[in-house]
Amino acid sequence: MKKLLAIVLCLALMLPVIALAEGDGRVHITYSFWGDQTEFESVQKVLDEYNQMQDKVFVEPMQIPNEQYTETLVNYAIADQLPDCGMVNENSVLFFARNGVMADVSDMYAGEELQPMDCITFKDDGTPVGYSSCNEILIMYYNKDMFDAAGEPYPSADKPYTWDEFVEVAKRLTFDEAGKHPGEDGFNPEKIVQYGAFVNNWTWQMEVWALSNGGAWFSDDGKQCLINSPEAIESIQKVADLALVEHVAPLNVIPEDNGVGVGIGSKTVAMTTDGTWRLGTDFPNLDINYGIAPLPMMKENVTLCTSGLTGVFKGKHQQEAYDFVKWYTREESNWESLVLTGIWLPKSEYFYKTEEGISKWLGNEKYPYNKDMETGKKVLVEYTMNNAKPACWYYTPNTQITTNEILFTALQSVWSGERTAEDVINEIYPDLCEAILID
Amino acid sequence: MTVLTKKHMIRYNRGETRAAWICLLPSVIGLVCITYIPMIASFTLSLFNWNGLGEMKYIGLDNYIRLFTRDTKFYGSLLTTLEYACLSVIGSIIYSMIIAMLLNRKVPARGFFRAVFYLPYVLPVLAVYLGWKWLFDYNHGLFNYLIKLNGGTSVKFLDSSTMVTPSLALIAVWLSGNLIVIFLAGLQNVPRTYHEAAEIDGANAWHRFWKITIPCMTPIIFYNLLMSLVTNLQVITPALSLTQGGPGTGSYFMCYMLYTQAFKSHKYGYGSAIAVILFLIIAVFTGILFATSKGWIFYEGDEKE
Repeated sequence: MKKLLAIVLCLALMLPVIALAEGDGRVHITYSFWGDQTEFESVQKVLDEYNQMQDKVFVEPMQIPNEQYTETLVNYAIADQLPDCGMVNENSVLFFARNGVMADVSDMYAGEELQPMDCITFKDDGTPVGYSSCNEILIMYYNKDMFDAAGEPYPSADKPYTWDEFVEVAKRLTFDEAGKHPGEDGFNPEKIVQYGAFVNNWTWQMEVWALSNGGAWFSDDGKQCLINSPEAIESIQKVADLALVEHVAPLNVIPEDNGVGVGIGSKTVAMTTDGTWRLGTDFPNLDINYGIAPLPMMKENVTLCTSGLTGVFKGKHQQEAYDFVKWYTREESNWESLVLTGIWLPKSEYFYKTEEGISKWLGNEKYPYNKDMETGKKVLVEYTMNNAKPACWYYTPNTQITTNEILFTALQSVWSGERTAEDVINEIYPDLCEAILID
Repeated sequence: MTVLTKKHMIRYNRGETRAAWICLLPSVIGLVCITYIPMIASFTLSLFNWNGLGEMKYIGLDNYIRLFTRDTKFYGSLLTTLEYACLSVIGSIIYSMIIAMLLNRKVPARGFFRAVFYLPYVLPVLAVYLGWKWLFDYNHGLFNYLIKLNGGTSVKFLDSSTMVTPSLALIAVWLSGNLIVIFLAGLQNVPRTYHEAAEIDGANAWHRFWKITIPCMTPIIFYNLLMSLVTNLQVITPALSLTQGGPGTGSYFMCYMLYTQAFKSHKYGYGSAIAVILFLIIAVFTGILFATSKGWIFYEGDEKE
C-alpha cells in the first residue's frame, strides 16, 4: 500500500514537468529590467499587451535589482545565458558594445517617422550603438509651501537663478531652532530645522555642474579627461560648500541614488535637484505642494539628459527580440504606464517640437504636471530642446570605473570637508585618464 | 573465538571503507567543486587580464606588481582591514567574555538575558546595519541627538574616514552573540573544585579569574580568536550595505576592494590577485596564532612543565 502511494505521488510530481515540456508553440524570450514594484507592474502590463496581440512570441520579464544589474548581466553573459533583450545601465552600454555582446540596432529607426533625439544616442567613437528608451533631464524641485512661508517668490520657469542668487535664496529659506538664518548673529549650524537647498551629489549628476561652470569632465570624443580644469574643480567645491560653508544644505557624505528622498522628500529641505523620473516615481506618493524649475546656473544654462538603453543581445532569438524592442520602445507602447505617469519623458523630437506632440503628453490630464502647462513647457520641453547635453556615458568608455568607482569614492572626502576638491581631483586624475583608455 | 586474520580484516574493512566513501562523496564533491576548484581558478585568474566578456590575456605577475607599486588605494585598504579586524576581534572577545561571566551567575531571568544577548547574531544582518545607520546618522541619528541634548557637537560616525572603522567595529562587537554562547559553555566547564580550593587558600575573585578561569578558558579563547580573526579579516557586508567603502577610503576593506575591482570595474584578474593576497595574509595570521599557541594555551591533562 505504501509503495503504491509512493509511486502515485512520484507520478503526480512529474505531471507539471510534462505539462511544461509540451509548451505553447511560441518562442519564449526574456526581457530584463530594473526598478521597484511600481515599475514591475508597469512593465508587466506592457508585456501582457504584447503577448496578447500576437501569438508567435512570448516575452517573460526578468527583474534584477538596480545595484547589481550590470554584474548580474555580465555573469549571465559569461555563462552564455544572457536574456534576449533588456535594459542596459547607461555606464555599461559602451562596455557591452565594445565586447560584442550587443546586436546591431543602428537601423532600427531608419525611415521611421519618430526618430530618437541625437542627445540620447550612444556612440562608440562616433558610431551609434544604441538609443535610450526615453529621455530624462535634471531639474530643480521646490516646496511651494516653504517658499510661501518665507515670503519668497517662486523660482522662475524660464530664467534660472544664478549660483549666487540660488545661495542667497537658500539662505533665506534655511533657519535654525531660534529662527536665525545663516550669516546672522546667533545662527547655530548644529541646530538647523529647515535647509534651503540640496544639490544632489549622486556622482553622475555632478557632471552638470562642471558643464554649468564652463568646464567639462571629458572631451566630446571621449578620449580626454578634462575634469582637472579649474572650472570643473570649482564646480565640485561650490556644491560641497553649500553644506560645509554656507550651511544651507544637509551633509550627505556618502551619496545615494535618492536625491528627492534626502532633499525635498524629507520635508526639511526647500529646493532639490534630481531627475525628471521622480515626477512619476516619488512625488505622487509624497504629500508635497511642489513646483519645478530649471537648474541654477553658474556660467552656462545647461542640464544633463540621460536614460537607460533597451538593448538587444546577440543570441538564438535575436530577430524576435529585435522586433519586440522596436515595438516596446515606441512611445505608444509605454504611453499609459510610463510616459503619462511621469516616469519617462518621450524620446522622439516630434513630442518636443510640435504643438500636437507636446499636448499629447503634457496636455493630457493624467500627466502629473498637467496642472501648470506653461511651466511644464518651459522646464520639460524647451529646457530639453535648448539646454540639454548628453551625460558622459553616451560617448566616453568605462564610465562604470571613472564615475561609479573612482569619483564616487574620492569625492566623499570632499563632501565631508576633510579635503578640498582640488587636492582630490589632482590626485585621481592619472587614474581617470588611464581608466578611459582600458579596453 | 576466531582469530581475526588479515584476510578477515581486509574484507571487513573494504566494505566499511566503501560505505564511508559513499557517505562522504556528496561532501567531498561539494568541497572540491565549490571550494577547491574555484580557489585554484582564482589563483590562475590572478595571472590574467580579463573583463568577463572579452578574451583572457596572460600577463604574469603584472596584477601583483601594480597592486604593490601603482595602486593608490591598496595600502590604505590593507591598513583599514587590519584596523577593523584588530578592533572588532579584541572588542568582541573582551565584550563576550564579560557578558558570559555575567550570564554564568545566578541572575534572575537568566534565560531571558541569554536570549537577548544572543539575539543580534540571528537577526538579518542587513536589517541590523540599516538600523545602526540610523543610530549613527549625522543629521537625524539617535546618538547625535543624545550628544546634542547634553550640549556636545554632532559626531561624524559614518561620515568621517577616521571614525567609520571604529563605528563599524562597534556594530561587530554588538553582533558577537555566538562568542558569548561558546564562552559560556567553556566557563561552565571550569571545574568548581579549583575555585573552591582557591577560595579556601584565600584568593579573591580577581585572583581566581586570572589564575583559574582564564587558563582553563585558553583553548576556547584560542578558538574564538581564530574564528573571529578569520571572519573579520574578510569583512565586506558593512561596506556593501552601509558605507560603500567610504567616506573616501575609510572603510575600503580588502574584500570590498576585491568585489568592486572584479565585479563593478570588470577586472576579474585584478580582483583575483587581491583575493590571493588576502588569503596569504589570513594564512600568515593563522600560522602565527597556531605557532604561538603552545606558549599560552593550557589543556587539561597536559603535564606541567
